[in-house]
Amino acid sequence: MAELWFGLLCLSLVLFVILDGWNIGAGVLHMIVAKSDLERRQVIAALGPMWSWNEVWLIAAGGTFVLAFPRVMAVSFAGFYLALWLVLWSFLLRGISIEVGGHIPDRLWQSAWDFVFAFSSVLLAVLFGTALGNVIRGVPLDGTGQFSMSLFTDFGVRGRVGILDWYTLSVAVFTTTLLAAHGSTYLRLKTTGRVHEQSDLWARRLWLAAAVLFVIITLETQIVRPELSGAFVHRPIAWLSVAILFAGAAAVWNGLRRPSEPRAFAGSCAVIASLLLGAAASVFPTLLHSTLAPEHSLTIYDGATAEGSLRLALIWWPVAFVLAVTYFVAVMRNYGGKVRSAGDAHDLDQIRGE
Amino acid sequence: MIEDPAYWHRLQFAFTVTYHYLFPQLTMGLVWFLVFWKWRAVRTGDERYAVAARFWTKILALTFVVGVVTGIPMEFQFGTNWAGFTRYSGGVIGQTLAMEGMFAFLLESAFIGALVWGEQRLGPTKHFLAAVGVAVGSWLSAYFILATNAFMQHPVGHAVGTDGTLVLADLPAYLLNEWALVQFVHNQAAALVTGTFAVAAVGAFYALRGVHTDQARLYLRHGTMAGLAAATLVAFPTGDAQAKIVARYQEPALAGMEGRFETGPMAAITLIGQPNVKERRIDNPIKIPGVLSFLAYGTFHSDVRGLDKFPQEAWPENIELLYYSFHVMAGLGTIFIGLMGLASVQAFRQRLDATRPLLWILMLAFPFPFIANTAGWMTAELGRQPWLVYGLFRTREGYSAVVSSGDVLFTLIGLTGLYFVLGLLYLFLVGHEILHGPDAASPHRAPVPVPVEVGRG
Repeated sequence: MAELWFGLLCLSLVLFVILDGWNIGAGVLHMIVAKSDLERRQVIAALGPMWSWNEVWLIAAGGTFVLAFPRVMAVSFAGFYLALWLVLWSFLLRGISIEVGGHIPDRLWQSAWDFVFAFSSVLLAVLFGTALGNVIRGVPLDGTGQFSMSLFTDFGVRGRVGILDWYTLSVAVFTTTLLAAHGSTYLRLKTTGRVHEQSDLWARRLWLAAAVLFVIITLETQIVRPELSGAFVHRPIAWLSVAILFAGAAAVWNGLRRPSEPRAFAGSCAVIASLLLGAAASVFPTLLHSTLAPEHSLTIYDGATAEGSLRLALIWWPVAFVLAVTYFVAVMRNYGGKVRSAGDAHDLDQIRGE
Repeated sequence: MIEDPAYWHRLQFAFTVTYHYLFPQLTMGLVWFLVFWKWRAVRTGDERYAVAARFWTKILALTFVVGVVTGIPMEFQFGTNWAGFTRYSGGVIGQTLAMEGMFAFLLESAFIGALVWGEQRLGPTKHFLAAVGVAVGSWLSAYFILATNAFMQHPVGHAVGTDGTLVLADLPAYLLNEWALVQFVHNQAAALVTGTFAVAAVGAFYALRGVHTDQARLYLRHGTMAGLAAATLVAFPTGDAQAKIVARYQEPALAGMEGRFETGPMAAITLIGQPNVKERRIDNPIKIPGVLSFLAYGTFHSDVRGLDKFPQEAWPENIELLYYSFHVMAGLGTIFIGLMGLASVQAFRQRLDATRPLLWILMLAFPFPFIANTAGWMTAELGRQPWLVYGLFRTREGYSAVVSSGDVLFTLIGLTGLYFVLGLLYLFLVGHEILHGPDAASPHRAPVPVPVEVGRG
């Protein structure tokens, strides 16, 4: 039962990273691919009417985390206290900038919010990368079953580690690049005109950079947690993730060359899903690895709530999931096609401002 | 107190949740006006309703987004600031927290964008359904979070696990907690009051300035009549039921709310007076005998136990604030019924737009439901003290032990600054929309249709 809930938690997180990943990625590139005010409105409009639905998957994942693994949720959130508040503040700024940026038709107003949007998106990409790096590297869990970390210590990856070290920082660089690549692939699919051309150009550059960084990160992970690769090769799901990674990478490559925008985008989603799946498969069943002593690590079996509670939740969780996907399909059926940029485009009212 | 981390964790949670709830109460109150007006517009084709719905959608959208961005930290604080509580009861409250995300947030966030920007694209019927989606989603979200709170007020459906933490034993009992049902109807009626006062206030503002006359009349009529209904519901039967449930399950809280230190029949309700906890009495009280007995137990002669019957460690910690919160809530609630009753009579006689003093009062009254809602929640949460889960788990045991006072103070200061700016921004933008007004000539958010399907990718 704990394994199943680990799977559902991963599912909601993967959905969050794919769905909100394109918002974050588009935000990282916002000031780069869109130069004029109108183009920047176009980028925001291209995020679609459901950007907050995408973000809500993080809340759903957070809820699922408390539901299934309350003890680990409590330990990790308290341990990452300040870093998590930075994430929450970034979300706050990002959400406000998307919603109010187009509200007043004034250059200064819009430029200011465009900058806030880009800045908070970069922060989010970096923070999520750091978080992923911390989960893989481990945290200084001690005999009390708790931890609390400084922002950084000696930048080493053993013992009394900090949130930032050479490994978590390089994961942050990788995820920022990857999410930007994902965002550019999304914008390439959803826009026309100059933004489309620029996104296309940046998609090529960023995917190349992401591929190079991926090789580096894999080697680094081998240094930081050598035992993971041993676990990895014995798990069928890990091999499935490798297969998805190759298929996704091929689709991205092919979609960028052909050029087929939906194919590249589908490939981009597959690559992200496969990387998270692979990471989950290699750390399983540990949720929080201890850098001090392996026996202090928290696994899904230590952290899960009672079997009975999990079984009860299994009655309603899948129903809610199917309903949520139904809403997505019901709304997005009305929002196919691209968002144009020209001054006469009144597609989404946001472009025009008011 | 300053040295005590529990104090800072409590202060931060109290601040963030109080601030957050200013926005959802307005959203949940306004959204049914939108549903109603959109339904009337579809049925009658009357352009007035479409214009009204369009205008209030803009206010709703701004309120909604502030509610969302201030709401995200709430769920995360269960882990960051209240790790002890999450470890102890996450196996139970995790259910409703996850349900809120999965059933409610994914519903309302799916349709809010379509509601705000999609009128032209979706057409009248689908756009109406989007409004219904947002309305149902926001009210569902309220139910799940109130069920979570109800477990803290009156825990049911749980069992104690092998390691001493709580596990869920009975999901229907937990979800249909008596406290949750009562609190839900009381709280939602109060949210409607906030919405109706806002609608009536904007109507009064336009009527006094002599602009948007048609729209002003509509807002005043619907705002005051719905306001009278909602304000009455808050008091009876929902407020009455809430008082009885507090009397049944949280006797020390009831005694604290009334500042009642002695036990006896014909318990009085205090209209005015200051609790003096040191001397254990109410200073300069004006009381009506028997009313508290009647409110709590249905007869004037019932015994109401005072704080003297409980050991001091079972008393709510801040009796003064609890007492004032309860009296502010109940006092304002009573005034709301009178004001909306008077205004409804005038609206019914078609005289309201000519009764200028009443319009002035309606225009300036809109902040008071926010105060009453906040005071009501302070009553509920201060009355629950010193327990985090009533009778099971003390507030002192719940905070994150690894997070120091200084760290919490740092985030609290950061949040205060951010929320201050957010509040200014919200008021500025809502003010901007209200001054711009519902303009039938240029339907905002209803853009000119142009062909946009230039190929699906």
